Amino acid sequence: MRRIRTLLLGLLLGAAALPAAGAFSPADVQEHRLDNGLKILLLRDASIPNIAYYTFFRVGSRNERPGLTGVSHFIEHMMFNGTAAIGPGEFDRRMEGLGGSNNAFTGEDITAYTDWFPSGGLAEMTAMEADRMRGISFEPEVFESERGVVASERRMAVENSNDGLLDEQLRATAIAAHPYHWGVIGWMSDILSWRRPEVMDYFRLYYAPNNAVLVVVGDFEPAAALELVRRHYGDIPASPAPPPVTTREPEAVAAKHVLLRRQAMTPLFKLAFRVPGTGDSDYFALELLDNILLKGESSRLHRRLVREEKLATAVTGGMPVNLDPYLFTIDVKPVAGADPARIEAVIREELERVRHEGVSAREYQKALNMRRAAFYDGLDSIGGKALQLGLAEIYHGGWRNLFTLADRYRSVPHEQVQTVARKYFNPHTATLAVLQPE
Amino acid sequence: MIHKFAFGIVMIAALGTAGWAAGFQLPPPAETRLDNGLTVLTLRDDALPVVHVTCLVAGAGTAYEPADRGGLAELTGRLLLRGTAGLSAEALSEELDFLGATLAVSTDTENTWLNGRCLAEHLPRLLEIMAGSLTAPLLAEDEFIKERNRQLEQVKAIKDEPDDVIELYARRTYFGDHPLGRPGLGTESSLPAIGHTDVRQFYRRHVRPDRCILAIVGHFDPAPLAARLMATLGAWRAPETPAPELGLPALPALPAGPVCLLVDKPEATQANFMLVAPGFPLGDAVEPAAEVMNTIFGGRFTSWFNTELRIKRGLTYGARSGFESWRGAGILLIESYTRNDAIGEALDLTLELLRKARRQGFADAETASARTYILGQFPPQLEGGAAKAAAYARLAAYRLGFDHYARFLQRVDTATTAEVNAAATKLLPGSGYALVVVGQADAIGKQLEKFGTFRITPIAMPGFSEAVNR
Repeated sequence: MRRIRTLLLGLLLGAAALPAAGAFSPADVQEHRLDNGLKILLLRDASIPNIAYYTFFRVGSRNERPGLTGVSHFIEHMMFNGTAAIGPGEFDRRMEGLGGSNNAFTGEDITAYTDWFPSGGLAEMTAMEADRMRGISFEPEVFESERGVVASERRMAVENSNDGLLDEQLRATAIAAHPYHWGVIGWMSDILSWRRPEVMDYFRLYYAPNNAVLVVVGDFEPAAALELVRRHYGDIPASPAPPPVTTREPEAVAAKHVLLRRQAMTPLFKLAFRVPGTGDSDYFALELLDNILLKGESSRLHRRLVREEKLATAVTGGMPVNLDPYLFTIDVKPVAGADPARIEAVIREELERVRHEGVSAREYQKALNMRRAAFYDGLDSIGGKALQLGLAEIYHGGWRNLFTLADRYRSVPHEQVQTVARKYFNPHTATLAVLQPE
Repeated sequence: MIHKFAFGIVMIAALGTAGWAAGFQLPPPAETRLDNGLTVLTLRDDALPVVHVTCLVAGAGTAYEPADRGGLAELTGRLLLRGTAGLSAEALSEELDFLGATLAVSTDTENTWLNGRCLAEHLPRLLEIMAGSLTAPLLAEDEFIKERNRQLEQVKAIKDEPDDVIELYARRTYFGDHPLGRPGLGTESSLPAIGHTDVRQFYRRHVRPDRCILAIVGHFDPAPLAARLMATLGAWRAPETPAPELGLPALPALPAGPVCLLVDKPEATQANFMLVAPGFPLGDAVEPAAEVMNTIFGGRFTSWFNTELRIKRGLTYGARSGFESWRGAGILLIESYTRNDAIGEALDLTLELLRKARRQGFADAETASARTYILGQFPPQLEGGAAKAAAYARLAAYRLGFDHYARFLQRVDTATTAEVNAAATKLLPGSGYALVVVGQADAIGKQLEKFGTFRITPIAMPGFSEAVNR
């Protein structure tokens, strides 16, 4: 037992009482708004000598129209390709020279530009971010080159990917009227024919300060950071408020079936049900149901499809994070030769069981526990905190609601899980998409 | 849709995990060894009410499985979570889920990892479950059959994703029959050859306390933790037999010219390509200069390689390069993809960039920018409990020292352009490399002729191509 003493000693250093752990509280976050409408959230966190600088625009494929599908994502790319002040590619070169890196993502509802850099780079990064919000140059030659990059990205993610292709077909079949009908990447014919003036108009309307939220988390002095933001963004003019998305997907009335035949080693299977957006009172109950059906190896569908029936190697999917009604998808990776009809029958059986019998008290508690633990995963880094604040601001009615998300789950009555299963898992209006290997 | 390839990931892989910016230290963990040889590393961090636990089992990786039992290490790892002496497979997964905890196994080339995360109040129970998985897994026959079949299905499914599968073909082509060339999942023919007793043997031989490094990072009360460790993993008896040697056979000699393979994937609308060339072993003195060199060549968005293929020409969504290192060996991977009719152009550009970098080297301004980039990107890579726990376990397993990253960053900070250019001459390949293309042979075969003699293998053919004699 000689060696164990070292362990105890090592562990006991600074052992006193275990204080309560906590990430941060609303009081740590400063909220500001400039006259041009730019909303700013600042959170000082000196755990590492870096800064996460996230800009969220309330724009995505939801705001597009036929002919301009995929344009939000294209603009995401063009934001790195030059402004009146700095040349194409210069943003990345300067940023990497400061020790920073960046990425960006576009979804159906939002576009986010995410920068990570050492604290010393704050002044220059604020200037460069404000510069590209002020306007980007859309040089014709660069425009064409970037069109090629996006076409390549689409070939990789859709044409050359069985899963991507089936997803696109599922979405386009299940959603008829709402812009969620097309994917974020856009249709290939649109990618190949976007016209510069229309793209520029789209940029001016949606990428304005009044349509943006800036979230800065990291090792900086909030007063100084705010001063920098005011100086660089203050005179960027607001744009007219973007038009609301008024199309509502009509009530689902039909069961639909997509069958894709392709060269493949294994089949693919997806079953989708229409569900409401994040603002709906059923949203959190559906999220709990998602955990019970799909999350973890003890989830009902994993148990049945993977463990017991051995029809699949994995089951994923679940509740989407979307402003407008979209799809709860059960995404199955079948084993080679599995019969899709059998997979469908098993899923329908399990959904019927939830509809008729509800879920057990232990399953309900399990879902709450999983949500609570996973919540902290999102706060494990300065970038995670910036992302969660921004998402709560856009999807959950304000960044302060980030701090009450756990309560929102807890306040879902146990019975509501069954109620939402009955309400949304209607087999007569589901969309089924299957890829059968040729 | 995201804008970029994750360039940072290449760097993390190359370094093991990651490090700390110049002047910053990875906080050293409290370190001890139990009587049974198990190493315990702990760091208390009260930022979140969460604890991360990692156990690295050194030498339980793919390279240490018998040559004719491909996939055995991966399979054995998975079975650790399929029931223990106290918990059936179903009860184990249900309890973890009920606690909102996660516990996953992954097996890489040299090691098996158990990675867990739980709320602070559940740490005692997570440790018990983890200890059960390590010390008393059931390794039951019915679970063995289920998991082997599932793994076999995954081998088939991965062939539908060219991005994922290309490295398996590339490593096989480059390393031939050497253990580093094995696909972790195994193959359609190697998996059926694995018997239930193979799993039991592999477990007994490789999963033992004197090969385990346990790292715990997060919000925990140290005194009860020590007692809990003694009661669980502390009671695990080390086998009487000495642990098997760690170390890999010598690498085969390099071919003089390129070794080329074309994996025919009908219907592919893009062609993926990957070059593999010699790198350096973990902890090698060339690492800092090599990482600066790679950052300039293909390790970040504005690298030469990505600039030429993506930014200037729009040929691809991403072009990147990076090192992978193990005990005693390492490789450089250079990869991208493009539309079928442009594969010849993309390869021409790639080879020309390699020649140019070797011939003329890099400018002072480029090396300065790359040094700053590596230093600036380090801190976020070790943020969070999971990253720190993994870093501690890896640094201990490879005996690199907890100040390894600090030393690495110091040497990055002082790397001269001459050192970086020497690394380019040494590590960017001239003609000794493997080149693998995954694409539609009918559409791209003609363009490939000038780059070497390509063996063609249909993607549906079992395995990841026969070994090439080297």
